[in-house]
Amino acid sequence: MVKIILKEITKKFGDFTALNNINLKIDDREFMALLGPSGSGKSTLLYTIAGIYRPTSGRIYFDDRDVTEVPPKDRNVGLVFQNWALYPHMKVFENIAFPLELRKVPRQEIEKKVREVAKMLHIENLLDRYPWQLSGGQQQRVAIARALVKEPDVLLLDEPLSNLDALLRLEVRAELKRLQKELGITAVYVTHDQAEALAMADRIAVIKEGKILQVGTPDEVYYRPKYRFVGGFLGNPPMNFVEAEVENGHLKVYESKIPVPAQYRELIEKLGIKEVLLGFRPHDAEVIKGIGEGLIGEVYSFEPLGREQIVTASIGGTFVKVFAPEGEHFTFGEKVTVKIREDRIVLFDKKTERALEFLEE
Amino acid sequence: MKDVETRPRRYEWIVILAILLASLPLILGFSLLMLSSFSREMVTNLDLSSFHFTLENWINVFQGKLATTGGIRTNILKITFNTLVVALGVSGVVTFISALAGYSLSRIDFRGRKHMMVLLLILHAFPGVALIVGVYLLYRLTFPQNPDVIRLYSFFYVILARAALEIPMSVWLMKGFFDTIPWEFEWSGIIDGASRIKVWWKIMLPLIKPGILAVALFAFLAGWQDIIYVRTFLIDQTLATFIEANIEAEYSHMPLIAAAGTLYLLPTIIFFLTAQQILLQGYSGGIKG
Amino acid sequence: MNKTSREKFAALSFFLSPMILMVVLFYLVPLFMTIYISFTRMRNWNVEKYITEFVGVYNYQRLFYMFQHDPTFKAVILTTVVFVGITLIINVFGGLALALATFFISEKPASTFRLLWLLPRMSPIAVYSLVWYYFFHGSEIGTLNSILMKLGIISQPIPWGQIVPWGAWSIIIFVNGLVGVSFGMIVFTSALNQIPKELVIAARVDGASAWEISRKILIPLMKWHFLYVLTWQFLSLLTTYPHIFLLVQWDLVNRDYGTTLALYVFNTAFGRGEQDQGLAAAAAVILSIMGIIGGYVTLKVLQFEKMMKRPRGDF
Repeated sequence: MVKIILKEITKKFGDFTALNNINLKIDDREFMALLGPSGSGKSTLLYTIAGIYRPTSGRIYFDDRDVTEVPPKDRNVGLVFQNWALYPHMKVFENIAFPLELRKVPRQEIEKKVREVAKMLHIENLLDRYPWQLSGGQQQRVAIARALVKEPDVLLLDEPLSNLDALLRLEVRAELKRLQKELGITAVYVTHDQAEALAMADRIAVIKEGKILQVGTPDEVYYRPKYRFVGGFLGNPPMNFVEAEVENGHLKVYESKIPVPAQYRELIEKLGIKEVLLGFRPHDAEVIKGIGEGLIGEVYSFEPLGREQIVTASIGGTFVKVFAPEGEHFTFGEKVTVKIREDRIVLFDKKTERALEFLEE
Repeated sequence: MKDVETRPRRYEWIVILAILLASLPLILGFSLLMLSSFSREMVTNLDLSSFHFTLENWINVFQGKLATTGGIRTNILKITFNTLVVALGVSGVVTFISALAGYSLSRIDFRGRKHMMVLLLILHAFPGVALIVGVYLLYRLTFPQNPDVIRLYSFFYVILARAALEIPMSVWLMKGFFDTIPWEFEWSGIIDGASRIKVWWKIMLPLIKPGILAVALFAFLAGWQDIIYVRTFLIDQTLATFIEANIEAEYSHMPLIAAAGTLYLLPTIIFFLTAQQILLQGYSGGIKG
Repeated sequence: MNKTSREKFAALSFFLSPMILMVVLFYLVPLFMTIYISFTRMRNWNVEKYITEFVGVYNYQRLFYMFQHDPTFKAVILTTVVFVGITLIINVFGGLALALATFFISEKPASTFRLLWLLPRMSPIAVYSLVWYYFFHGSEIGTLNSILMKLGIISQPIPWGQIVPWGAWSIIIFVNGLVGVSFGMIVFTSALNQIPKELVIAARVDGASAWEISRKILIPLMKWHFLYVLTWQFLSLLTTYPHIFLLVQWDLVNRDYGTTLALYVFNTAFGRGEQDQGLAAAAAVILSIMGIIGGYVTLKVLQFEKMMKRPRGDF
């Protein structure tokens, strides 16, 4: 049970910079998700915490202990891999017992601990099977058991759910979150699935091209993205963006005009910015038939999803997706007005793609 | 890759027939040799009327009766055993060394690693005949004075010398097998506190068992089929030198040599029947010819 | 050295020292010994007498002289050139043909044929030589002779291997050619298996024949492998000798026109009668220089180094 501090971590592979000056503090007992597209460096960061990679520069602390030079085995971390890496030639029991055997724990105690952790993960009846005799979900539990059996200070998970089918993923997701809180273990969770990160993590670090763009609670990251990228990466469908020009207290989008949202009035004045990106989430707007107050466009397509439907509207050539209640009928090319909840609008600087309120950071 | 479904069937037979025709000398040569070993006279003249079934050749081979006249007896079992010792020795040495070196070249980053791998490739292409002169001088210089151990030493030396020839390619082959094991297995062991040696022994070796088997098999065949090294270094006879020395046996005894040859071919045939996949896949990495 | 790098060094020594020992003992030391012998008068392995008798570049001069004037040595050089040249072509194109042919038939007969063509390489060399010894035998038990006699093409058995030069050349090219074909076959087959099958199926749908598919799609995609087989096989043929050793030893083929340079080196050092290790070593050194240059060029041309991925992790 430690807190992890990453200080100015940079990792280069030859000329390629995988991690670029990463600063991150992960609290004791916190569930931190590292979220980013593939190739963003999130796994590299995880393996740097584990000690598999040594940072080119920067330091890593577990509590006050500088572990930058400490080899992986002395860091007391548990690691669950995407492919689970269960040793195929060992039975489940031997797989789980392996870390303890390496520590030369007495046989009796190994037996006891393996049974304990197996019970916790509901796999006690699988102990003398081989990994290939197990289903994906069971293998996954074994992998977690193996990581937990040595009572690590930190649990590191590298996309542990991505090899499971969609339904099972939802189930394990809930269980994993509960387990982490029960054990009170510090966990770092790498994922490219924004829904997973939102559902499980206490905080999310969004990573892109080796840099952390934003760290915050799921709500913060979701509703107050610092970058256009963050808004566009989280949510399904993701945030909509339309270009807008600031014209005396109004935002001009193509042929429509809406007032500058209240929370931005002062800021826009202060920054004197002329071109912005207007961001809003699909469920923070509604589609109204005909021409009215809001962004005026036409229906490009609509996709019923059962409880609701997604309407794609073209606003001067820019597509935005908005949820609409079921049962409402649209036709292709029909004129509609997209009316956005003002308080949920996020404005970004068009050039830097940063949210205006973080522009001066 | 097969696209049988999209291709006209009749062409298949034409192609098969063409390959069969090209393979005819090969099939003919080997089957006539084996057939002759069961015949009183050689049937290599394709005259099946000269085929008279007999087990005599085989009995004579095992009894070591090489000539109808004269009482020369050769202990063929001993000779077969010698061949086996060399083959197993080469296989053991090659497998052990390449399993060690292949792992480190695949998994450990160290300075000079690339150069070592390039060097191995060059050594593989290196003319063996240029080495054998020097290898023989080394043999002579290290030859033991004690006559009791001379024969033992010659076995020891021929195994090492022949194994050395197989090492560059086997190391590459083994490295290739290690390359296919996902890194997560390695990392998992490392994080749990295993040393590299322990990871190698406890995790990696069990995972590449098929690779080890393939390398061991190829090295065995290399040792088994060799003639140059055994005739140069080994004091005792192997099947290869036995056949070499007895080819000029009298005319009527040619079937006997055919029987010895068929006996010598036996492991090859056994591997053919039992280890086809290993042979077809494994060869892609490690052959020279 | 800190703790981790000391551990790494210990692990590396554990993994690499047996191989390094073997390479030093059986490659580097012998190489220097061969070079050393080439500057001595070593003959008949009379080590005690000749090991310190230096003759400078005398052996090299002799080689050069023989190259100009000795008909036997000239025959050996000519044989080497013809043997390597023709066998190389047979090996590369034979291997390509076999790989393509087996590519277009069902899996079962295909792997049977591939296995069959591995037979020459896998057989004990003595047995393999024995097979061809009977096949090309100069008397009527020779398979080739009896076939031709039955067909009425010849009336008397002919000792094919003694017809110089082409009789002897044909036999050694044939015998070694069969061994080498499998290399190309295996390499090309694995290359073919890596080609996405959608390409072939798409071409089929467009109505292409097997021949057109081979020529327009498969072969262009195997350029690298073609080069690889060509250069690697060239090196192999230049230095191989075990498969023709017995044919010469058993007098199946003419001694002069059945002997390549590599075999010449071996027989001069270890053969029957007068042995001349000094001369053999000098020839071996020249062969080695050709081999090393060839090998190095091969590596550069094929860009092998690019294929070497770096290991991951810093532990």
